[in-house]
Amino acid sequence: MSRIEAKKPSLCTDKPLTKDVVSFSLSVLSGIVKSCYGPTGRLKQLHNGMGGYVRITSQSSALLGGLSVTHPVLNLLTASVKNHISRFSDCGLFTAILCCSLVENFQRINFESSTVTKISRHLLSSCIDYLKSEACGCRLSVDFDSIKTLLSLVRSILASKPACMLNKTEASYISTLILKAFLLTIPHSVETNVVLGKCVIVPVKDKRVMESAVYPGLLIEIPVFQLASIFPVKRVSSSTIKMALFCISLSGDLSNIGDGPVIVHHGISLEVAVLDQLLNLGKQLVNDQVGLVVCQKVIHPSLKQYLKEHRVITIDRVGLSMVEPLSQMTGSQPIAALHSLSPTCYGSLKDLRTENFVSKHFWHLIPNDILVCSLILCNRNEMAWDELKHVCQTAEHVLQLTIKQPLALLGGGCTETHLASYIKHKSSTLSTGILKAIDCSQTQYQLVADAFCRSLECVACCLEHDDGEILTDMVYGHFWSVQSGFPSDCNWSDLVLKCGCGIYNNQRNLNWTVLQRQCIPFIPQSCSNRPSVNATDHLVLDCFTAKCSGLQVAVETANLILDLSYIVEDQN
Amino acid sequence: MASAASLDLGRLVQEAEALAGAVRGALGPRGGQVLLTRPTGETLLTRDGRRVLEALNLDSPTARMMVACVSLHHHMTGDGAKTFIILLSKLLRGLQEILDKREGSPFCEAIQRRGRYQKHHCLKQISQSLMTFQTHILDQITAEDLRKHFFSAFSSLEGEISRHTMESILEAYFCGRIGNSHQKLLSQLSCDFYYRCVHFKNGRNEMLNLVNDYFVELHFAVPGLPVSNSRILEGLVLHRDFGVYCPADGDIRMLIVTESIHSDLSASDLEFVVNAEVQYQASQVWFTKRTETIMKHLQSNNIKVLLSSVKQQEIVIYYAKISGISVVECLSSEEISLLCKTTGISPFVPTWDNVRCEITETMVAKFCRPIVLGSKRYVHLGLTRTCAFQPHCVIFCGPVHGVTEQHASAFQGAFKMLQQLFKAVDLSDKCAAQPENPNNTSEAVHCSLQYSSQQKLKMENNSCNGEKINNQQLKTFPAETEKQFVDSYSWVDENPSCSQTYLQKSSNLVMPIVKLKNDFMFSALIDRGHTLRELQKFKYPSEMGIKNKSEPVVNNHRICNDAMTAIENTSTSVVSKHLNTTKDYWNPGNPIIPFKYEKSYNHTIQSYTSSVIQAGSVLPVGGNFEMLLHYYLHSYAKKCLQPKITVVSTVIADALLSIPKILHRTTKKNSFTQVYFKATSALQINNQLHMNQQGLESVYCKYQLVASVLHCVTKLLTIDLIIAIRRLPQKTEDNDSEGDL
Repeated sequence: MSRIEAKKPSLCTDKPLTKDVVSFSLSVLSGIVKSCYGPTGRLKQLHNGMGGYVRITSQSSALLGGLSVTHPVLNLLTASVKNHISRFSDCGLFTAILCCSLVENFQRINFESSTVTKISRHLLSSCIDYLKSEACGCRLSVDFDSIKTLLSLVRSILASKPACMLNKTEASYISTLILKAFLLTIPHSVETNVVLGKCVIVPVKDKRVMESAVYPGLLIEIPVFQLASIFPVKRVSSSTIKMALFCISLSGDLSNIGDGPVIVHHGISLEVAVLDQLLNLGKQLVNDQVGLVVCQKVIHPSLKQYLKEHRVITIDRVGLSMVEPLSQMTGSQPIAALHSLSPTCYGSLKDLRTENFVSKHFWHLIPNDILVCSLILCNRNEMAWDELKHVCQTAEHVLQLTIKQPLALLGGGCTETHLASYIKHKSSTLSTGILKAIDCSQTQYQLVADAFCRSLECVACCLEHDDGEILTDMVYGHFWSVQSGFPSDCNWSDLVLKCGCGIYNNQRNLNWTVLQRQCIPFIPQSCSNRPSVNATDHLVLDCFTAKCSGLQVAVETANLILDLSYIVEDQN
Repeated sequence: MASAASLDLGRLVQEAEALAGAVRGALGPRGGQVLLTRPTGETLLTRDGRRVLEALNLDSPTARMMVACVSLHHHMTGDGAKTFIILLSKLLRGLQEILDKREGSPFCEAIQRRGRYQKHHCLKQISQSLMTFQTHILDQITAEDLRKHFFSAFSSLEGEISRHTMESILEAYFCGRIGNSHQKLLSQLSCDFYYRCVHFKNGRNEMLNLVNDYFVELHFAVPGLPVSNSRILEGLVLHRDFGVYCPADGDIRMLIVTESIHSDLSASDLEFVVNAEVQYQASQVWFTKRTETIMKHLQSNNIKVLLSSVKQQEIVIYYAKISGISVVECLSSEEISLLCKTTGISPFVPTWDNVRCEITETMVAKFCRPIVLGSKRYVHLGLTRTCAFQPHCVIFCGPVHGVTEQHASAFQGAFKMLQQLFKAVDLSDKCAAQPENPNNTSEAVHCSLQYSSQQKLKMENNSCNGEKINNQQLKTFPAETEKQFVDSYSWVDENPSCSQTYLQKSSNLVMPIVKLKNDFMFSALIDRGHTLRELQKFKYPSEMGIKNKSEPVVNNHRICNDAMTAIENTSTSVVSKHLNTTKDYWNPGNPIIPFKYEKSYNHTIQSYTSSVIQAGSVLPVGGNFEMLLHYYLHSYAKKCLQPKITVVSTVIADALLSIPKILHRTTKKNSFTQVYFKATSALQINNQLHMNQQGLESVYCKYQLVASVLHCVTKLLTIDLIIAIRRLPQKTEDNDSEGDL
């Protein structure tokens, strides 16, 4: 009672965006996220200064999770990016950078927020309409007949996370593994309700990346003391092993007694009674020709011994997270009863082997229908392993999203520049009817559209961290970068090699110009009518769903921030 | 030692103005958003005046009282918190100016003579005049002058609302509540939701009540997705995942259980004695068998889904899976009661006895499948409708939690506002305030009767039991009146003693208060209404004429007298007459076209009802209500003979103008002075206001707002001393809020 204190009055701020502290902290945040973006992004070391866990990263999820933002406006921004990451795993930095630069650019034109909101909303909807339309010039449809596009997608994700410390061969090896693991989780027979399997990542640290591997089925570690007593499994037929999966404890403890008192007469041991039941259960399992017993919790040593004598292999303490994939891949139902087992709840395995991996030993459960696979992931040190694991999960998520919507966007800044030139063209040919509906003038619309395009191009510019020059062409509206230190008198066409996404090589008459310089609006041409698109190796691609949503979230958040007229901070 | 301070009007004004300053920026369609941070670090976006004011954590007791008044008002109407506080601050400022002038003010005659203590006396006088104003003049002006400007939201005669009207009402509402980029989307969404949920128009109120009560269960927030992904889903989504999911097709029978199916050896009131090990084993087996039997029984009854409010044991899950029954566990009690309400079933109690009989308490769903919202999996039930509410739920998406929460609360507020829209204001309030007038008693009786008869007519209550009713009617009147007063007082928040005395009077007139027998009574009335209808038309032609000349006061007295005599004669003529008039109102002969200024249409509303505000009355947004009230208050003040009332009316009229002033603060085309000039000159020339705004708002909400503000000022001004006491702050806070309620 003595801890009750009177509430402190809240702190109020009027017109928060005009305050210096907001624009300063916004520029700090945007500086951090901008410098992390892309394959050449700079790494950040996160530590608490007191000997805690140190992390080196350039990933948005780790970065924003680690930053403690105090100002509510920034809090709003980071919260919305974090929410985006939790839904899509990818494109977090893109969203954060776009949002920051939209706020900065819109503030600079200094219109009333409702006008800016209306126009930017219209711009956003025309962007999304364009991206979702067939005519979109910066997207590819993913061809599942060949793995090239999928592989490019995975490789682009790996390449954009330099903190994994992978070299080129390692990166391509890991991307192949990720893709392989993903393909294993797709069910063979497709019904109406498709449920993807699971890829379990098994950590092995302090090893070379090239020793990573994918195994179909599950890997369950064997404790060292059990290694001595391994015997071949009992099979029903040459390719079938019957297995039982228990989700209750088989340790012989007295469960389900209830809340009330239980009176036990002298000389009666309930433990013996339960153990008796357990041994009866063992008898039934042996009779039913079960070869493998897996238990989520603990198995009583006597039961273990009994089963061992009858050549039944036992694996216990597998944990709750393993029960679902186990039941999924073997078709067995988690058993919760100690007696009168129904024969329908047993599952089957194709094979059971032991695998040695460096110093660790695993049971390898191989199912008939492979839905679950294990990815043994190695990396040199703890920090790089963490980063790599995150990338694998991101890549898996992106592949799942791509299956749902088989489209990919051009990466390497090309989508941003292409979209910017599309919007420039669109806003220059705007009908008066639309202007009337938005209730703004042509000049207002043009200014907001320019700010919007500048922000998009700014995201593309963040890919270059080494003072290089960034160009765009006037035909496709793609992104081209030139390394710094070029002679001032030479032609652009002598310097550029490939566009950002790698789809176009240096061609004549592409008419380059420096990005963000004023130029005449043009209709950017589409890349999809090129026959050789899928033949090209090493494209840089981005996840369509994640990027579309990131774009929308960034614009919506920027609008929210601009619309703030008052802040009330609770000081308690 | 407790410290006491006398109430200072100047301080009140300052506080109210500071509060108004916090919300002023968020008022109206061009208002901005307010960002709130919670002690937990969570950020919340809002344009809701109540949220902002409550988040301020104020120190001053009077300011807290103002905030409490705002909260109370907002809680009832779902709207108007910002307008409330702005109006309040202007009103207090106006009153202070009167006090400062001193000379010539009717309230301040005695001040010079008796010093500081009299200053409070002066405040007291003001507060009394405000009270008089609120109870007498506000209703009168609304009834006499304002009413002819109202539109009806109902497009057809049966009380249906056209989609277009609904959209403009909702759009106007969301304009003031959420960020301007999503107003269109959300008003479309809520409009869709309304039309998809309401199955037939008579179930409207029931549906709105259900949506308001169970809104938490009916909506989902998914942060991290763009707002445009917000949508309406058919059926209900439970806030849980399946414990077991077994896909099933066709009509799915479902069952609700509220206790564990598997029972343990002992319970808290039962002890279990173990005599032998075999006995222990056997009983374990028996319990397992029992669970198995129950689950098999469910399976044989073709039950596919088990909805449980408690966590079931693993063994139940195991047998459910074997029997092909999906299980959803740990449902909240609200979800269970929502399910029971929409389907009309009660939970199933599994016992050893009913294992043999057939299970009847089941509901049927078209589908039952998992649905992924955000990153979590939930249960999606396609229930078939059994009540007025067609089950649907809303999913709000937004980049951050703050946005989805804002949208959800605005959405709920919109449904609260719709609830208000379908309410009417009766003249009975006015009568209640004048218990000394003998005529009023009967008038009130008549009003309440008419009000409820209208209601009942809409409900189409057809249970008929005609004969005995004549004698019971009189007895029912007082009971009805009482109910009426409870209704009307619950929102005006008036001094209850007033209604008490009145009630006594009415019960003196017609003897004992018996149980309500509405159903019998009104069904009888409907019958009589039919038979006497033709007759009545000829019987009261003169009165109709008077009504059409729009002199409601005279008209009302006439009705009162009629009602009086009618009651004395224990005849039903009055009742049927009023039924008659309501019938006429709904008569297809009078085309009602909203949005068009047709005289005939206005007169239909005005002449055939005796209520101040008809259910479903709307006005275009943009401060029109305030300007109209301002205009009529001024003209009333000119005519009024009592100097105190004149002063008070002028102050209120001027304070009202502050709302349109803020609403039109930035537009270049329609600056406030232009709008105001246009409106007043139009009113002077032809008594009509030309309104071209798109949105509509409920008059009932506006009327209530003015009444609540006046009431709040009255309450503030009657305080004499503010005494700080030393107790736990939590306690004093409680006391505060109790005082406010």
